[in-house]
Parts: sequence; structure tokens; C-alpha cells
Amino acid sequence: MSNNTDYHQFIDNKEGWVDRRIFWEEEIYERELKQIFAKSWQFIAHDSMIPNANDFYTTYMGEDGVIGARQKDGSVKVFLNSCPHRGNKFCFADEGNTRSFICNYHGWSFGIDGKLGALANEHVYDEGDIDKDKWSPKQARVETYKGLIFATFDEQAPSLEEWLGDFTWYLDMMFDNDGETEFINGGIKSYVNANWKFGVENFIGDAYHALWNHDSGLKAMNNGEGFGPAVTENSFHASVNGHGWEFGTDGYADVVINGSEKWLNYVRDIIKPKIKDKYGELRSNIFGSLASVSIFPNISFLPGIQTFRVWLPRGPKKLELRIFTIVNKNMPEDIKQEINNGCMMTFNPAGVLEMDDGENWEGNTAVNKGYITRQEKLHYGCGITRQIDHEELPGIIYKGQFNDANQRHFYTRWADLMNAESWSDVPTRYTPRHTKTTK
Amino acid sequence: MTHLSEKSAVAASMELTFEVERFLYKEARLLDTEEFKAWLDMLTEDIHYWMPYRYQRYRKNHVEPTVNDQSYYNDDMHNLKRRVLRNETGTCWSEDPATRSSHVVSNIEVENTDKPDEYKVYSLITVNRNMNEDEEHLMVGHRTDILRRVDGQLKLAKRKIILDQNIFMNKSLNVFL
Repeated sequence: MSNNTDYHQFIDNKEGWVDRRIFWEEEIYERELKQIFAKSWQFIAHDSMIPNANDFYTTYMGEDGVIGARQKDGSVKVFLNSCPHRGNKFCFADEGNTRSFICNYHGWSFGIDGKLGALANEHVYDEGDIDKDKWSPKQARVETYKGLIFATFDEQAPSLEEWLGDFTWYLDMMFDNDGETEFINGGIKSYVNANWKFGVENFIGDAYHALWNHDSGLKAMNNGEGFGPAVTENSFHASVNGHGWEFGTDGYADVVINGSEKWLNYVRDIIKPKIKDKYGELRSNIFGSLASVSIFPNISFLPGIQTFRVWLPRGPKKLELRIFTIVNKNMPEDIKQEINNGCMMTFNPAGVLEMDDGENWEGNTAVNKGYITRQEKLHYGCGITRQIDHEELPGIIYKGQFNDANQRHFYTRWADLMNAESWSDVPTRYTPRHTKTTK
Repeated sequence: MTHLSEKSAVAASMELTFEVERFLYKEARLLDTEEFKAWLDMLTEDIHYWMPYRYQRYRKNHVEPTVNDQSYYNDDMHNLKRRVLRNETGTCWSEDPATRSSHVVSNIEVENTDKPDEYKVYSLITVNRNMNEDEEHLMVGHRTDILRRVDGQLKLAKRKIILDQNIFMNKSLNVFL
């Protein structure tokens, strides 16, 4: 790909197709690291994962290893996990609590704030050899939304609030339906030999696959009963800045998939009335319905099932999946455990739904090894004429949750960012309402 | 520490050890041949089948996982039956063609416990999984089991599996370990 490649050539929202090369080509992947992952707001951790001063969690922004660390003043800093001396990672733990990190190679130490401190055998340096203030690992910008810690390395990027835009109208019903949320202790990590976008686009809008692909998993969780017939009425795709939420309004399908009657009753008796009070009837009907969500570029979750995950890119043909369980802080302990067990039964590498997904995405990716195969297009035309105006729902709205609309808008945002030389080149493709939904 | 564990851990007789080995080999064979109903019959009704999540932490930050944390498996009989049901729905597309697996059980140690009808069994499980055209996956883990004698028959009452892998290296865990 040359520097002036127009990445919109890889998608066509009028004819409804996507070029397969975006799931395979190394050059496109390298451009993604620069244009998508080095620009976007990335998920680092949930507040509850690093509650105390000196707590840290290591993750990746694109392929850049970073440490998210809680400071003494309660704020969070995010910085590169790479020693500025010879480059080695200076933290090899997934998480923990420490006052400092010390690089194994020469013994350079870094505070919990990421600043370079003492060097082992520092006397080998002469006065003036090193200005420590200039040789600390690069810091990222950090902002939070309702317990979710985000970071970006792009100084010019819009604020997180602007990045999420009206999508918070939807996010609020997940992350603030009855006070603060928290993650269950732990976090399951696995490799899938698939392009990272296949995971994201599945959660952003692919209700369709559930009917066929997850029939066996749903039967396992629902006493042998499969999905009912696909209902296309009163269900929607909503897209904002490349984020997407597909949902029904029947109320309970995703809660049923979690498989716990106690949790189902809790949603009916506690969660839904709270959402209705706070956000109105429509959102209380949306929460818990058959639904799936992705936040651009690589975060997904399932309201009602309560899995939360991030798809970390590992080259064009591999991703690292990190899975968490999200609950409300004020839930009784037994409800938290019911949710976690159901979430684990369904969505982890051993989950009765998850284990079917990885198979598909690896297959989607691997076939592109064929030169002729990857010149062929993929069909993304489902529901292409169903865009509507909706008086309550913000974003770009399509009727019918069995639709490729959110996927199409995800790839549009992808191409917008892949092309952009500056943020002023990135169009806002929906009409913001500027509604203040948070209290 | 050493004295305490030596005192409570009484190595089982050769006869019992042999019986436990036969039990574990049979279990491995049933899993390889996908005879899951027969496998469920080898478990007690109050089975706890557990494989916790893994993180790497500094030694100073070490914590043991609990059943309240995330886990690959944290199953009672009800949940194990759900997994077996999935394979028998006729719509479990990813298992057709079937996964091929070989369970190798080794390093078996049997200890008596405070309960006369329960035994603690350590073993190493190695599973080679081959699936689809040419995919081969290796999983190696340490198992700690409680076996209980019920009506003269040994049954598996508890299993904890600790896999060596930190990041689980495969897309799915579709075999029991």
C-alpha cells in the first residue's frame, strides 16, 4: 500500500462488501498500528482491578506494552513498559502491587509514576551523561468513563467524552444502572489465530450468527431450548463513531443465556426498575435483551451475560483475547457469583458459546492465505436499506438487529482513521444530540 | 511445614494405587472416545470440577486463586451435564468433524486422607489435541483430585487443574482435562 492509498477502497457501503485483504495483509496491519491503535482511546483496566496506591496492571495498546498504575493521589498513569536504556520490558508480571519497577538488564528503576529513578551502579555514569528527567518511558493521556480507564498516545486526539460521543447514552445503562461496577477477580487470556477485527465486528452487530452457530450452546444453557424464530421487529443497530450496539427490546434473552435464574430475577426486580427510573422505559427494555456491543476499536461486552473483553492485535493473523466479568459493586455476593459462573460457562475458551466463535474467526482468517481467495469480497449487505430516524435512539439507527449495519459503520470509521493525516480529516458521521445523560 | 504434611499424607498401599491408576486410565480413555455419559458416571453427584484462571505475579505478590475468581471450569454436576448436552444436540457444528484427543496421565501419587473412603490423588495430565485439517495443540497441567469410594466403586469427587500456560495458547478448551 502506498502512502496515498485510499482505505475506503476496501469497503463499499452502497454495494455492501468488505475487501478480504484487510484481514491478512501485513502492510495494512502496520498501518492499523499507526492509524488506529496509536490514535484511538484504548481500554487499559477497570478501576476495580487496581484499587490501591501502587497497584498495577500490564496490557497492550496495539502492540505497545504498557503499565497502568494507581498513584498515591488516586489517579492512574499509563506508560510504556520498555526501559529507555536498551528497551527490555521492565515489568514481566501481569498485575500486582509495587513501589517501583526495576529492569532486569542493568537495574534501572522506575517509580509507580513511571519516572526514571535510581540506576544500579550509578557511579559508572559521569556527571552530565544522563538527564534523568528526559529519559523516562513515554506517558499516555489517561481518562476514565464510569470505572473504565482509557489511554491514548495521541496528544491531538479528541477527549474521551468526544470519542465516545452519544454512545454514552447506551453505555450508561451498562456501567451505571445501579451505581458503580466492578470486575470479578481474575482475567482469562487466550490466543486466537484470527484477525482482531473479526472478534470486534462479531460483537458490534452480528446477532445473526447466534441463531445458527450458537444453537448447541444456547440449548446447553437453556434446558435444551434453542433460540426462538428471529424477530426483526422492535430491534435495532445503533452506531456512533464506529462504536456499535445491536439490541432487541424483548428484555431477557441475554440474561437467559447466562443461565442463572437468580440473576434473571435480580434483573427483573432490581436492575430494570432502576434503569426505568433513571433512563426511561426504552432502555430498561433494551438491557438484558439479545444484544452485543463493541467500543471502537477493540473492546466488547454483552449486557446481561456480563462478559467484557478486549481484543489485542498480535499481527494480522492472531489476537490475544482478555476476558473479564462485570458486576455491580452493590450486588449481593451470591448474585456476583451466579453471574460469574454463568459468564464463565458461556464466554471463556471453555465456554459453551465462546468455543464455537474462535473456530469461525480462525477459519475466516486462514482462508485468505489463498491468493485468489483474498481477491474475493465478503458480503456485508444485510439490512442495507433499513436506516431510520428514531426519536429516542441516538446515533445512526437501523431497524432489525439481524443486520450488517454496525459492521459497515465500523469499517467506515476504520477507513476514516486509516486515511486521516490529522483529526480534522476524521468526519463525524452521525448527528450528535449533545444530550447529557449522566447524573 | 514438612513435618505436618508428612504426618497427614500417608502414601496409599500398592493395591489402592493400582486401583486409582486403573480408574484414571479408564477416565482418560472415555474422554478420548467421547463417551461423556459414561464419564459422568465416574463422578460423584457433588463433583467440583475446577480449573482456575492464571496470572503471573511477582513472588512478593503471590495469591492463590479462589472459586470466586474467574475460572475456565468451576462446574458442579449440573454444569458438566450442560457441556455434555451441547455435544449431543446435533447442532454442535465445531465438533463435526470430531476433535481427536489423547489424554496421557502420569506422575500419579495416591495419599490416604482423614476420611477412610476418600483419597487424595496428584497427577500430571498431558492432552494432545488434533482438530480440523492440521491443528495440533498441547495442554499440560497438574491435577489434584479427591477420589471417593461409593458403594465399592471409586468416583471422582473433586478436581483442581492448574495448567502451565499463563495465556491459554489455544482458541478453545473443548476437552476435559
